[in-house]
Amino acid sequence: MTIEKKNSYDFYLILATALVLAVISGICVYGMFYFKFAQLQQLDPVTKGAYMEWMNQLVSPFIIVLIVLLAICVPKRLLPTEWLNRFALALLIVVLVTTWFRGVVMALMVTLGITLSLQLLVLVMALAGSGRLNFERKGYWLRVGSSSLHLGLVLFILDLFLYKNHALHLALFWVTTVATVFGMTACFYSPAIAKWAGGFSQENSSENEDLS
Amino acid sequence: MNLIMQSITGPFSYIGQGIMIALLAFSLLGGIMGVMNVSRKDSVAFPVLQWTFVGINLIFMAGFVLICWLHYQIYQTLPLEFPEAIVPLVNQQLELINAQAQYAFPLLDPAHPPRYVIPLWVENEKYYFWFTCYSFMAFFAFLHTASHRLKGALVVLLTLQISILYWFANPFSQPLPKFFSEIGAWYAAGDDPRQMFGEFMRLYPRMIFYYNTHYMWLHPPMLFLSYSAITVTFITSVFMLVKRDVEIETLGYDSAKFGYFMLTLGMLLGYPWALQAWGPNWWWDPKICSSIMMWAIYSTYLHTRLYANKKLMWYFTSILGIVCFVAMIFTFISSFYFPGEHTFQ
Repeated sequence: MTIEKKNSYDFYLILATALVLAVISGICVYGMFYFKFAQLQQLDPVTKGAYMEWMNQLVSPFIIVLIVLLAICVPKRLLPTEWLNRFALALLIVVLVTTWFRGVVMALMVTLGITLSLQLLVLVMALAGSGRLNFERKGYWLRVGSSSLHLGLVLFILDLFLYKNHALHLALFWVTTVATVFGMTACFYSPAIAKWAGGFSQENSSENEDLS
Repeated sequence: MNLIMQSITGPFSYIGQGIMIALLAFSLLGGIMGVMNVSRKDSVAFPVLQWTFVGINLIFMAGFVLICWLHYQIYQTLPLEFPEAIVPLVNQQLELINAQAQYAFPLLDPAHPPRYVIPLWVENEKYYFWFTCYSFMAFFAFLHTASHRLKGALVVLLTLQISILYWFANPFSQPLPKFFSEIGAWYAAGDDPRQMFGEFMRLYPRMIFYYNTHYMWLHPPMLFLSYSAITVTFITSVFMLVKRDVEIETLGYDSAKFGYFMLTLGMLLGYPWALQAWGPNWWWDPKICSSIMMWAIYSTYLHTRLYANKKLMWYFTSILGIVCFVAMIFTFISSFYFPGEHTFQ
């Protein structure tokens, strides 16, 4: 399949995501060196706890941006570009209003809730073989896999909010793992799965990821 | 060292050294031909290069079988066995510990003394496993590319890895030195019950929560598989910078997909174990930081690859493939340089 679109919305979202991930990577490297030179491993748990809290604060704005990007990325499967801009604006208003009245954590939970609901809808539609979804690539298993993989990512971030509830945290973690592993398998090996599932002649050409 | 240990490690070292010498000889031959293929316009002695590569893989497999034998012998012959009369006292102590802990120690059963089920990738064996994985993946890439230069480069990097293994991380010259030094004290304790008890309380937690834990059988090998795949992607990325060859890019991408799969799964499977072993105090541990960094770069690589047909994105993706490799080396070395829960220091 050849990708011919130039400067699409998807492309800029990917560049923005890459930028945020690069910043998070930079913070991680900073954390490593700080940990070493402050000799945190030799300090008391309270000081270690303060370091963790500080690192959480440092990274949280970028996690928020990542969540917002995710929340914009998910509906792009469902909506045309012009509606996507309106959705992004509406989401921003909801986030700001919720932050004003209920705080940042609740705003993020709302954003994640909306993202999760939409991603579930995308997955269901992909499973049903809906032609109305907007994906860069074609292929049933590739779309199902990509939807499941991104659902896993949303669930993982949601799960981090629940880490204090040990039982629920671990249960949701395993759901996350299953969704991610299934998603990666279906997305990365879609031609093989299509062949295995019996629809090889129909699926193989569309699952191909040729860049030529 | 006790006689039982010597009866295991003696033949292991003797045969293993032979394997390492053969591996080095084959890899040097392959390396020379690899350099010739990389530097010349046409392929040089291709059948010899291919059969040398097959030979290296077979020798790697023989060494791995030998490592499996060593670990089986440890399981069979080195249990933590107590005189039956002392077992109730030990169990009483373990019950006291279990009452205060979230995760319990299994109590002792004199009929089935605790045995070591050591994973096949601890101490220097991890390098052996890692480079074996690379050897097989590189051979797969070798068979699936028409570029003799890429074939040569894959072998040259393998030669470099085997040289590192031979000179700096030979798992056969001194088998599992840390493990045998740990358990040596247990056997040195003789029949003195008080000394045995002290040694047991030192060894048992490490056996249960490190050597015998299922996590050690899943988390590290997946990461080493991932590291090997990243190395193949790195070589293809360097080639992508030189020439716009879709076949090589596809090979690198296939390798990257497998590597990302293993990295993500390996990291995820490490998570519940980390909660169990360290509680919540590990999240910003240096190794975790570097792993998240590597995963983020890798995720970026896979996303930008969607647009690799654009000229600038082609080069950007190639550079990211190289950065992934640098991040992987940095992440691995961080275990030596940075203190924390994952440190090898």
